Amino acid sequence: MKPGLLVILLMIALTSLCDTINQLFLKSAIDSLNFSPKFNLIKIFKFIIQLLTKPRVWLSFIFSVISLCIWLLVLSKADLNFAFSADSMHYIFIALASRFILKERFSHLRWLGTGLIVSGIVFVSLS
Amino acid sequence: MFKKKVTLRILLLLIASDILETAIHFFFKKSALAQAEFAVLDLSSAAVFLKAVFTSPFLWAGLFTVALVFIIWSTILSRIDLSVAVPIASFSYILVPLVSVIFLHERVTLFRWMGILFILTGVMLVSLSSRERIAPHK
Repeated sequence: MKPGLLVILLMIALTSLCDTINQLFLKSAIDSLNFSPKFNLIKIFKFIIQLLTKPRVWLSFIFSVISLCIWLLVLSKADLNFAFSADSMHYIFIALASRFILKERFSHLRWLGTGLIVSGIVFVSLS
Repeated sequence: MFKKKVTLRILLLLIASDILETAIHFFFKKSALAQAEFAVLDLSSAAVFLKAVFTSPFLWAGLFTVALVFIIWSTILSRIDLSVAVPIASFSYILVPLVSVIFLHERVTLFRWMGILFILTGVMLVSLSSRERIAPHK
């Protein structure tokens, strides 16, 4: 393990965490609007305008900007292939949040998938 | 309602989102790479670093592509379930390392490719597992 790897991994964890929070806010804002499944460009445009009036969207936006800033710092120090693979740890955060905060029930398939992601990140970090 | 029929048009949109997603990460990496020698030690040096990165055209090309992918992705998800779309879209886990090797001259060891394959399989299983819950209602 190279020195500094732990710092990089922590920063990637932080950007993943910000990304997870950003997605949760965005999801909650989108769910509060009902949109028709038939999309066209004008409807998408109207939908985005409607979204912009929601404070949760701005919170989500702030977190995505923070996430981007940390991400750019990571990319200036780490290889892209490593950083991109390790960034999949947001799947772990989402799994943990869904299981322990939202108390969702998971199938065995989902646990298996999350376990594979964890071991994949360990492999990528050790190589 | 369970939408799983992947038409040619949706497949093309998914491939486009895969390629554009990879382009986003390439652009961001290029913008950060120009400041790679910059030592970021505290918040004020981080601010100077970010100010320099945000003047890079690569960064703005990346942000423009983010907006493009958002529009394409909204179109895809209005026509097909997430559990079907994500496994097809997650090929960027292979494309990004490929682009890193070819255009950024990074090294990817066999061991790391194995880790990437694990992550890719894991992402596919996680997204397929959401179908299990939806399936009984179709």
